[in-house]
Amino acid sequence: MLRTIIAGLRARTARLVLSSVAIALGVAFVTGTLVLGDAMNASMRDEFAKSARGVDVSVYLSGGGGDVKGITPETLEKVRQAPGVAGADARAFQQVPLIATNGKAKPAFAVPLAATEELREYDLADGRYPSGVDEIAADVRTAETAKLSIGKTVTLLGKDDQKREYTLVGTYKQGVGEVSMSGNDHLVLTPEAYTAFNPERLPYQVVAVAADGFTQQQVADNVRKALGSDIYTVQTGEQLTEDTLRQVSSQSAQFTTFLLAFAAISLVVAAMVIYNTFTILVAQRTRELALMRCVGASRKQVFRGVLAEALVMGLAASVIGLLGGLGVSALLQKVIGGFGGGADAPVRVPVTATTVLVAFAVGVVVTVLAAVLPARKATRVAPVAALRSQLDSSEEVSRTGKLRVLFAVLLGVGGAGTILMGMRMEGEEAPMFVSGAGTMLLLAAVLVLGPLLVGPVNRVLGALPRALFGVPAKLASANAGRNPKRTAATTAALMIGVTVVAMVTVVANSAKETANAQVDQRLPADYTVTSSVYDRPLPVALAEQLAAVPEVAKVAPTTQLMGDRGYFTGVSKDALGDLFRPTVESGALGDLREGTIALNAGYAEEQGLAVGSTTTVKTGNGSQELKVVALISGQRLADGVVTLETSAKLDPVSDGYDSIMVKLEPGVANGRAAVEKITDASPLAVIDSAAETKAQLNEQLDKVLAFVWALIGLAVVIALFGIANTLTLSVLERTRESALLRALGLTKGQLRLMLVVESILMALMGAAIGLVLGVGFGWVITKALSSDTLELAVTIPFGQIGVMLAAAVVAAVLAAALPARRAARTSVVAGMAEA
Amino acid sequence: MSALVSDVGIRTAVAASGLVKVYGKGDTAVRALDGVSVEFQAGRFTAIMGPSGSGKSTLMHCLAGLDNVDGGGVHIGGTEITSLGDKDLTKLRRDRIGFVFQAFNLLPTLTAEANILLGLELAGRKPDRQWFDTIVDVLGLRDRLKHKPTELSGGQQQRVACARALVSKPDVVFADEPTGNLDSRSGAEVLDFLRMSVRKLGQTVIMVTHDPVAASYADRVVLMADGHLAGEIDSPTADSVLSALKHLGA
Repeated sequence: MLRTIIAGLRARTARLVLSSVAIALGVAFVTGTLVLGDAMNASMRDEFAKSARGVDVSVYLSGGGGDVKGITPETLEKVRQAPGVAGADARAFQQVPLIATNGKAKPAFAVPLAATEELREYDLADGRYPSGVDEIAADVRTAETAKLSIGKTVTLLGKDDQKREYTLVGTYKQGVGEVSMSGNDHLVLTPEAYTAFNPERLPYQVVAVAADGFTQQQVADNVRKALGSDIYTVQTGEQLTEDTLRQVSSQSAQFTTFLLAFAAISLVVAAMVIYNTFTILVAQRTRELALMRCVGASRKQVFRGVLAEALVMGLAASVIGLLGGLGVSALLQKVIGGFGGGADAPVRVPVTATTVLVAFAVGVVVTVLAAVLPARKATRVAPVAALRSQLDSSEEVSRTGKLRVLFAVLLGVGGAGTILMGMRMEGEEAPMFVSGAGTMLLLAAVLVLGPLLVGPVNRVLGALPRALFGVPAKLASANAGRNPKRTAATTAALMIGVTVVAMVTVVANSAKETANAQVDQRLPADYTVTSSVYDRPLPVALAEQLAAVPEVAKVAPTTQLMGDRGYFTGVSKDALGDLFRPTVESGALGDLREGTIALNAGYAEEQGLAVGSTTTVKTGNGSQELKVVALISGQRLADGVVTLETSAKLDPVSDGYDSIMVKLEPGVANGRAAVEKITDASPLAVIDSAAETKAQLNEQLDKVLAFVWALIGLAVVIALFGIANTLTLSVLERTRESALLRALGLTKGQLRLMLVVESILMALMGAAIGLVLGVGFGWVITKALSSDTLELAVTIPFGQIGVMLAAAVVAAVLAAALPARRAARTSVVAGMAEA
Repeated sequence: MSALVSDVGIRTAVAASGLVKVYGKGDTAVRALDGVSVEFQAGRFTAIMGPSGSGKSTLMHCLAGLDNVDGGGVHIGGTEITSLGDKDLTKLRRDRIGFVFQAFNLLPTLTAEANILLGLELAGRKPDRQWFDTIVDVLGLRDRLKHKPTELSGGQQQRVACARALVSKPDVVFADEPTGNLDSRSGAEVLDFLRMSVRKLGQTVIMVTHDPVAASYADRVVLMADGHLAGEIDSPTADSVLSALKHLGA
């Protein structure tokens, strides 16, 4: 038996290669994802380790510290004085606006230089660290992007917009920490210069190094004793490292799960390709299998023979897939590195035992499972089939039983029911997941129904090529429809891929349109001037200057208040209903004046408030009881809106505006230039227009969509391999038929055309059904995501759908290239001689 | 030589001169056709006979332009075909030649009628409806036209193949063991029809067979052995063919 299997594999190598490619691609995706996850983990561990390196004891302020807002110099001194502490430094960071070459401020993070060398989270790259209050060092990336070089002047924007100048004395490379992860610019100042910048802001952590002869635990205990207060969390360096790494792992695990979901789709598609290949192979080998049964092979032996073939194929494909996966992972790291700006990060390819095991398990198990049904079919070949002269592999043609319909109906009803249930649910995530599950049931129903759909869909789709290309297309259409089960199985793989792509695309586009509509609503003004640096309000004078510009009809400044139970917006009263016009759910916005508040309807419900009730808003600098006069919605606003006067009372400390809305005089041609004349003078002011915000938003969403397209693209590629595979096998099977057609007068070109059209028909069948399902499912998901407060408008991207169909056609032509070449090359006489 | 052919071109449907076909190379080379010159008259039913490996099928393939030759020439209705490219050969086949093969004559995806009209469709020609009806009625296929090949018996399938071969009124019909897969009664029906198409409809038929009974339906039998012509029999009977074959040592 073994010898027969080996001989069989050798004889059918070419036919098995294409399906092996499908499995190998799937395995490559899975291993690539796992390796990528491990690599990200490893690289983050290394980088994060820098923040914990050299640290023997760490002191954090625990929650519930009451009035203590940070670590005071006295606390730091206490730690320094604790027995066994060789050195201790406070860790802190704050946003400081860095004036770029164009005179505009951009946010950068500044940290104080640790006095203890071991406690620095960064490595000097060039020059030296700052030693005087007028010296500064910059992260190498910051230096590069801001075009700073050693010896040059660095300008930072201090409080009240006063400029402070420093001399750059060195550059450094930083590890990854909460601050550097944000990808922001990064600067190091001496502790004195740092504190001078904002004396009220206190450090968040103290780190210390143990003196020789002390263990981390001993020093930690000593520090705890010295502080004598339970508002501090004292950790040893080891504990700190552990804590940090736990966070990191869970982050990269999320990303890996996301990728694995797509890998799973690819594998399902690959499994369908394998299933189809083996079904066709078994059908083609009817006579051979029957002969084996004739000479005494048992059913079990035939079954095992087919499975053994699958096993070998799965093993081979897994090896290739595993190696490919390493490449995929390296490539993805490059791509992600390119996105995140960490292009200089080393590419790592860690291979763990788990990865290898999973690769083989997935590759082999999927392949063998996919071959089980065909292998069972092989056992049903009667020995007498060997004696039949005409080999007819039109297996089980069109005998599609009532059972199939029944099963499909059950799945369909179940799917529809689940979707309806999901749509009725409250919230955002739950309805999406339930409806999503429902759509998958519907997809399964369509898959089961597949062979019945092939006939009608083929007739409809075949009409155009028949009219265009005549006889070859007519033959192609007949061929595509001759074995509905085979065609259905071949196209199903593509259908799944296209369904997911179309679904994601519809949801993404709906989200995009909705977001754009919201931007329009949110930015009713022509321009909105905001601050480029978070936490740094715009000066009040700016609003007055803008109002004085002749082209400007009206300005409306807003403020931002951080309350203890939400955040609120302050708006000038005359902007209400004009530059600021939310949908009023109940109450009247006109009643908004000092001592009253309009609440976001969603927030009001959460807090159990209604029009007429009162609520106390408390900020860091004040508190006031406010009467609710209106519930508003429709805008992505804060939790509530108050007048500027109320805002000033609640927070008398901060002066300045969060944003200034600008409305131009009607018919002004060059309004932007007029506004810019004012804002250019202010380093903080940035002009936003609805159009620009939309462009930014769309760019982000398009990036995400492109990423998902790329991920699901692999499943589609595998599906196309499936089409090429089926076509190749069909061409082999139809060698005599092709020879007959050639003898009867079909030219080589027409024969090729015939196969190309057949390929296109199969691809379009999968793509068309997939698109219909995907768009429908996208609609369902979008509706499920919509809630009372956020209505998503379903948008069908016809352009992108057109691109997908065109891509399917192009890919189909490519898939048909090899089989068509092969068919056309076979000589008529040789073809006729084929048994 | 070509002058001779054009002289008698009016009555000669197919002519081969000094035809050579070699399979393989070097020591293993086999001369399947070793200088075969033969003419087939229009309006006659000729059988090519010979033992296995005699080169009779190769001869037919070369005559019909299905295979290329290594030497010599083939004329069909006055056209030299050995110099034609694949495209022209294909056109020639669909316009001027009809085929009936031993088995697998029909496309399983098409109905009997579509199979019959396939060659014409490929050529982009409109079928002569009257001629089509005549053939279909003579072959008794009227009530089978809408059937797929799998729903037809072996004899019916071969009759559909005959109809397809004749419907385009070709210069010549090549039949390669047309009865090889049939029982004797169905075989006789097909042979009767081929003979009738020659006698009554004026067709030219060249048939390759190894069955003396089948050969006896022809007007003339061309005998082959080892790639050479090995004799001819006019107005053959099963017995005369059989004895001639015995003589060849088959």
